[in-house]
Amino acid sequence: MRITPYVAYAKKNFLGRSAYRVDHFLGILSTCLQFFIFYEIYRALYGDAETIDGITMSMVTTNFIISMGLGMVFRPNDFFLPGKIWDGSISTELLRPISFKGRMIAENVGDSAFNLIFKFIPVFLIAFFTTGIHSPAGIFNVALFIISAVLGYGVLWSISFAVQMTAFWLINIWSIVTIKNVFINVLSGSMIPLWFMPEWIGGVLKYTPFSSIYFTPVQIYLGQLGTAEIVYKCFIQIVWIVMIYLIGDFLWNKGQKKLIVQGG
Amino acid sequence: MINFEKVSKFILSDISINIPKGEIVGLIGASGSGKTTFVRLACGLLTPDLGRVRVLGKNPVNYRQKYFSDVSTFIVGKNLLDKETSVIQNFEMLRIMYGINKSEFYKRYNEISEMLDFKGYEYEKVISLSFGQKMRVEVAAALILEPMLLLLDEPTVGMDQNAKECLTKILKEKASEGMTILITSHDMQSISNICTRLAIIDKGTLIYYGSKERLRRKYLPKNKMTITFEGEMPNIDDLPINRYTIDNDKITYEYNDNYISSSEVVEVILDQTEIRDINIEKSELESIVMQIIGGQNEFYRSE
Repeated sequence: MRITPYVAYAKKNFLGRSAYRVDHFLGILSTCLQFFIFYEIYRALYGDAETIDGITMSMVTTNFIISMGLGMVFRPNDFFLPGKIWDGSISTELLRPISFKGRMIAENVGDSAFNLIFKFIPVFLIAFFTTGIHSPAGIFNVALFIISAVLGYGVLWSISFAVQMTAFWLINIWSIVTIKNVFINVLSGSMIPLWFMPEWIGGVLKYTPFSSIYFTPVQIYLGQLGTAEIVYKCFIQIVWIVMIYLIGDFLWNKGQKKLIVQGG
Repeated sequence: MINFEKVSKFILSDISINIPKGEIVGLIGASGSGKTTFVRLACGLLTPDLGRVRVLGKNPVNYRQKYFSDVSTFIVGKNLLDKETSVIQNFEMLRIMYGINKSEFYKRYNEISEMLDFKGYEYEKVISLSFGQKMRVEVAAALILEPMLLLLDEPTVGMDQNAKECLTKILKEKASEGMTILITSHDMQSISNICTRLAIIDKGTLIYYGSKERLRRKYLPKNKMTITFEGEMPNIDDLPINRYTIDNDKITYEYNDNYISSSEVVEVILDQTEIRDINIEKSELESIVMQIIGGQNEFYRSE
């Protein structure tokens, strides 16, 4: 497989994003606003208390900034395939000499690289110097955090991929995408840290992919997990990626078959 | 190059056709007659319900992406280019995607962009182009890959006369270099200029496949010759002329190509009188096709 076309697609998206400077600055502003609103809400809830259930305010802030930051970086385009089905260009995409899925990943990587450099890092630095967020537990944790964050992205991408594939049958998947986003926002711990979830919800979440997206990297960053737990959690992330990807791939093959039998 | 054996899909019914290498075949039919379905079957975007499709000896559905550099397809209304990026960026993406050498690719690009006249807006985003401009660019994107087989579905829609003529010239050049081209169009005039063979589809049935000359000879062999003469009126009683009309010094003959040639008519008249001017009108391809499609049942009886 030639890698050059995929690098070109990633580069195209990276440069394409940089063309919209106003949108970029407004994106940073809205993320900062969102962060400071949640920060103030939690500060009010904490009041004078040092910890709640053993969780300090700075841990909550760190969870927020990391999961919000990763959420900003990892933003798969949920309407990539539906858009191609709506305008009919899915036909020409199927005639291209490159993998459609590979192209989806490449374009997302281009967007994510842009978001990482020009959105995540500025917001992280602003939050780091204005609020009391935790430093990483150690250099080893930083390295493992990066690995786990990439795997978290893999989980998020696989979910988006599988959801997009339903567009072959449903055409308009706006509602499903909205439901998916609600699940991710609430159950991944990015809005309400999973430490504060009732025990039974925590038990259920163990069997869903959502906590693997942001919460596992956050726990590694904060040094809450031992080496064995880190390996186990990263393994779980890989299992989720493979399982959800296989479901998406099954739907992709069925969808293509539907196209060549029924037209589209 | 393209082989359909008793293929049925959607409106298409029992289509059998063999398109050899190096031919430019025009696929003609009214809207909804199955032209685009034919193209989609040939490029592997559809699988037949019945029958067998082979392109370059292979099933295009299975080899669709594997023989990408051998077949290039343009389907009107299906975006070939990314509308959010400029024309030149789109072509660069094509170059990278198909792994074509840079200098070779841009040599082709410069030739095609000049012939189809879109150099002036190559830095514009595709989304900002007019329909006609977009058509030129998208057809060029299919052509620039220089495939063995080029499938063009309605490539002249929205093009002005100049662009149509340029496209005709390019396609003839490509065919002379050995490229096989299948082109569908409503525009009979463009198609008759470009194609060496015609396939006529009506309501999903292939009702004619062969050369333009055979079509003209077989189904509407009427010619009309107008002669301006000086001297005595020629006597043509012995010639198999269908009918004639006289207007002062002008006489118009209608005759059947299958029974007498134009040169034979002229020879007989020249023996009797002096000719000042001759004008021969052959039947327009469009009227022949319309007649065939219109009177399809009669056509079958004559077969």
